[in-house]
Amino acid sequence: MSPVETHCPYCSLQCGMRLSGRRVPEVSSWDEFPVNQGALCRKGWTAAGLYGSRERLTSPLVRDRETGEWSAVSWDVALDRVADGIRAAQASRGPDAVAVFGGGGLTNEKAYSLGKFARVALGTSQIDYNGRWCMSSAASAGIRAFGVDRGLPFPLADVEEADVLVLVGSNLAETMPPAARHLDRLRERGGRVVVIDPRRTPTANRADLALQPVPGTDLPLAMGVLHLLVAQGAVDEDYLAARTTGWDEVRESVASWWPERVERVTGIEAAEVRALAAMLAGSPRVMVLTARGAEQHSTGSDTVLAWINVALALGMVGKRGAGYGCLTGQGNGQGGREHGQKADQLPGYRRIDDPAARAHVAGVWGVEPDSLPGPGRSAYELLDALGTDSGPSAMLVFGSNIVVSAPNATHVTSRLEALDLLVVCDFVMSETAAIADVVLPVTQWAEETGTMTNLEGRVVLRQKAITPPSGVLSDLDVIAGLADRLGSPVPFTTEPEEVFAELGRASEGGPADYSAITYDRIRDESGVFWGGERLFADSFAHADGRARMLAVEHRGAAEQPCADYPVHLTTGRVLAQYQSGAQTRRVRSLPDDGPFVELHPLLAGRLGITADDSVRISTRRGTMTAPARVVTTIRPDTVFVPFHWVGANRLTNDALDPASRMPEFKVCAASVTAHG
Amino acid sequence: MADRVVVVGGGMAAVRLAEELVGADVRLTILADEQHAPYNRILLSAVLEGTHAADALTLRSPAWFEAHGIDLRLGARVLEIDREAREVVLVDGERIGYDRLVLATGSIPTLPPIRGLVRRDGTLHPKVHPFRSLEDCRRLESSLAEVQAQRDSEPGSEPPRAVVVGGGLLGLQVARALSVRGVLTEVVEGAEHLLASQVGPAAGAVLARDLRRLGTDVYTGARAIRMTDDGVRLDNGAVLPTDLIVLTAGGRPSTALARRAELMVGRGIVVDSTLTSVSDDRIHAIGDCAEHRRRTTGFVPPAWEQAEVLARLLRGEPASYVGLRNVARLRATGLDVAVLGDPQAAEGEVVEVTNPIAGSHRRLVVHGGRIVAAALVGDLSRVGLITQLYDRGTILGPDEPGQLLLPEAADAPTTLPDEAEVCACAGVTAGEIRACESMSQCVDRTRATTGCGGCADVVRRLLDAGRAGSRPPVPVG
Repeated sequence: MSPVETHCPYCSLQCGMRLSGRRVPEVSSWDEFPVNQGALCRKGWTAAGLYGSRERLTSPLVRDRETGEWSAVSWDVALDRVADGIRAAQASRGPDAVAVFGGGGLTNEKAYSLGKFARVALGTSQIDYNGRWCMSSAASAGIRAFGVDRGLPFPLADVEEADVLVLVGSNLAETMPPAARHLDRLRERGGRVVVIDPRRTPTANRADLALQPVPGTDLPLAMGVLHLLVAQGAVDEDYLAARTTGWDEVRESVASWWPERVERVTGIEAAEVRALAAMLAGSPRVMVLTARGAEQHSTGSDTVLAWINVALALGMVGKRGAGYGCLTGQGNGQGGREHGQKADQLPGYRRIDDPAARAHVAGVWGVEPDSLPGPGRSAYELLDALGTDSGPSAMLVFGSNIVVSAPNATHVTSRLEALDLLVVCDFVMSETAAIADVVLPVTQWAEETGTMTNLEGRVVLRQKAITPPSGVLSDLDVIAGLADRLGSPVPFTTEPEEVFAELGRASEGGPADYSAITYDRIRDESGVFWGGERLFADSFAHADGRARMLAVEHRGAAEQPCADYPVHLTTGRVLAQYQSGAQTRRVRSLPDDGPFVELHPLLAGRLGITADDSVRISTRRGTMTAPARVVTTIRPDTVFVPFHWVGANRLTNDALDPASRMPEFKVCAASVTAHG
Repeated sequence: MADRVVVVGGGMAAVRLAEELVGADVRLTILADEQHAPYNRILLSAVLEGTHAADALTLRSPAWFEAHGIDLRLGARVLEIDREAREVVLVDGERIGYDRLVLATGSIPTLPPIRGLVRRDGTLHPKVHPFRSLEDCRRLESSLAEVQAQRDSEPGSEPPRAVVVGGGLLGLQVARALSVRGVLTEVVEGAEHLLASQVGPAAGAVLARDLRRLGTDVYTGARAIRMTDDGVRLDNGAVLPTDLIVLTAGGRPSTALARRAELMVGRGIVVDSTLTSVSDDRIHAIGDCAEHRRRTTGFVPPAWEQAEVLARLLRGEPASYVGLRNVARLRATGLDVAVLGDPQAAEGEVVEVTNPIAGSHRRLVVHGGRIVAAALVGDLSRVGLITQLYDRGTILGPDEPGQLLLPEAADAPTTLPDEAEVCACAGVTAGEIRACESMSQCVDRTRATTGCGGCADVVRRLLDAGRAGSRPPVPVG
């Protein structure tokens, strides 16, 4: 059997790889695929480690609430039980009594079907997904500034053509290692890299200039950079006049952000702010890329806008090898937000409150536009409402491990436990599945076919390589089976390629239009970019073709250090783990060293903590204990905890960004003490 | 009917107040005596230096005020306050009624007692330049251009000369700006050392040395007493020939209006913690002209905090001004100074590192474990962190203040133990790499270097070392 060309199950790079073998696939490189050119990180090389795992779920399970005992049941019994629960909830409290929670790792086909299922079969407005916690701030900013949101509006390899690359809150050398090769090539050509991160990460070690701001102050740093560009006359006035609106107000908004003020707020020396501005001012091609470090804040979307303003003021957006982009995180972070899992959206990145969009999508679905519900709650607000008087009493979860990944997780877990019915589709007993009433075992990567849209907006095809174990069904089967039981007015197909064709029709004419993309084209062209390979060369997606420059203000993190919680806490990823770790923590060949608390020797000395000591870290929301790692690479006023294990998100703040509804994962106030 | 709020002054405090009152239920009038739209005054020396475009100083354009329904009157001079009628009277006789009056009149430069500074007709000697407003800055620039043009017409003549009177923050900024522009500059300071109101003699000496190294002569403990045709005569007998004299020797709160209106005035207009005049509860004062708890400040950060507090009060929200921690930073090429709080007067233990050889002096004043004041001169390492610790009142450990002033320890090169992970992407240890004979074998066997590529250098060195049969240190991290 010849190897199957497919893509890694993890991050948004969607590295190409080949799989061979019948039961347990073997990974080999796919050198011709342009995004990673054969390179993989250890997560990719070991991605098949969950095949044949004893932890793999192969039968639907139902939990007895009285005894906590699990029973294996048939699919019919399980789906009947779920359908009964849904009917009971909706009979007493209306359609919105049932919520759906999706994931940024689901294929486009699943994301689309899930959105359709919620609106058509359940008739609920209460659907959102964990992608809200991924790149929603960048998405919100991109839509407002450019009229469209595509993570990178150019192929990732364009990075190598920049003269200066500014990475704001990205640790791509650890989070998407093969992408780091572009940094090396960029520097070999004489280009320079700037990394902005409170930690001096492996990515920052490859930078020409590494700035370590106070967490939550990337926005005033951008204001300070733009201030200096204006002061030095380095902005591209012709570009601003021809291609943007709003420059005057933005220019005034940075007049009071001189470098010494920026220093006081960000903790970055004025001289370094000047060095960054000087680097940008003299460079023909400047590229700014933001990631979660900049975005996962209650000020995340404004922070992205502030950096977009820098890129626009320099006249860089739309220029080859330059511009602005967002490094999406989850495997299908991009596609997941385009096809209707989001509370306010319909397929094709259409707005659910737009009558024309509703009419078009309803036409494709074969239902009346008026039958579609309106916008629902955003992810955190949805979870916060569960089991309350006004919130849903039942929820179906697809591709998400909420107990580990939600902010203020103790509270969120209590909301999940307050539901009358919690249904989780997963292929292992994740922490969220463990508190569910019904767990449905679904197929994993390589056992099913579907498309993903990577960080570049490139739609790629993950092809089925092996047969799933018996007893396991696809999420598409679950959706169709439930729709059928609930008497959906229209049927749901379970054939991925058919779903994709329908998705294409539903997205046709929308901002993210997939109608011209087919599986064959994807195979022939190494993936297909929606909207074209490069955007914005001539115009932006607003009606007048211009980008919007929007003035923003510095508000700062919702929670500032105080006497009781004197340090900043930030969270992030480590190389060997992915997201909530439900998959990677179960892959034996990946090291699972557990969580740790990273702190600077100055802080460690103050607290009497030495390496490997047990450290207790507390916030207003929770406490966790983990061993100390004493490193000089972190700001002395900041501690870092990786979020792949239960605990980190018990600490994090649920303050939301007003525009994107992104929680403030990346900074809160904490206290740290030696433990025991 | 919404309250009529009239602000006298169009400086940085007034603009901040206006920004904070956007959307509030007030009718706001700003009476700015300068003709230029409100601008960022503290960057004037950068304009002089040539590093900041003058037209980029504007904080808010007239269009912004108009768009937010604020009546901005440029060139509006207030003659007096009629407290009884609750009106201000402009020089042209117009009367403007108020429900609340905010005095944000700032400060005016002090004219030092130098004979010949003011001519008989009351105007300043043409070589003399105060340095407070954009107009002052432009006038100085054009005088400089004239002198420069004259010198350019005389081949072989020496560059223009300037004497800066006043060795405080502004004086040093102006001196550096002129010097950067090629002017032979000298600084005259009456106190025994530079920056005397912020730092001690040792720090002042470091600064004087830095300035001299940069080509600017410094005369401390000396007063300019007389303008002559040759230049400036000092009280020590020296005569400094010069083309320009720039006055930066401090300012005093602009309180004439308040005095005439019989408000209580000390050094500034005396206000309580609601920034309300103690003589009239409809009149407020913010910024350089205000005196709170017997202190006037002269810096932007407290002026802004006062503006924010007053805006909340005018919106009907509770707020009070308690006095802010101030950070003063010198903005001048080649001179590094940060002053946090009052490092000369603050109570506490002093941790100090002076290195006259390298030209640095750094002092932390620590009280109850907190940094309550600091002076950093000549070396701004960790100024960002120290400022954060100061602003947030972080309680430090006993060793920490000292450690903050020491250089950050570099990671020493170490020999990688065999079990150390070298390639994180493929999970390969140093031992596994040492077991390989070549890069290609290493790639085939371990996949090291094929992920992010970041370990390539270390792998190459490990392989080279293996071939050489030795095990030299390999830097990590």
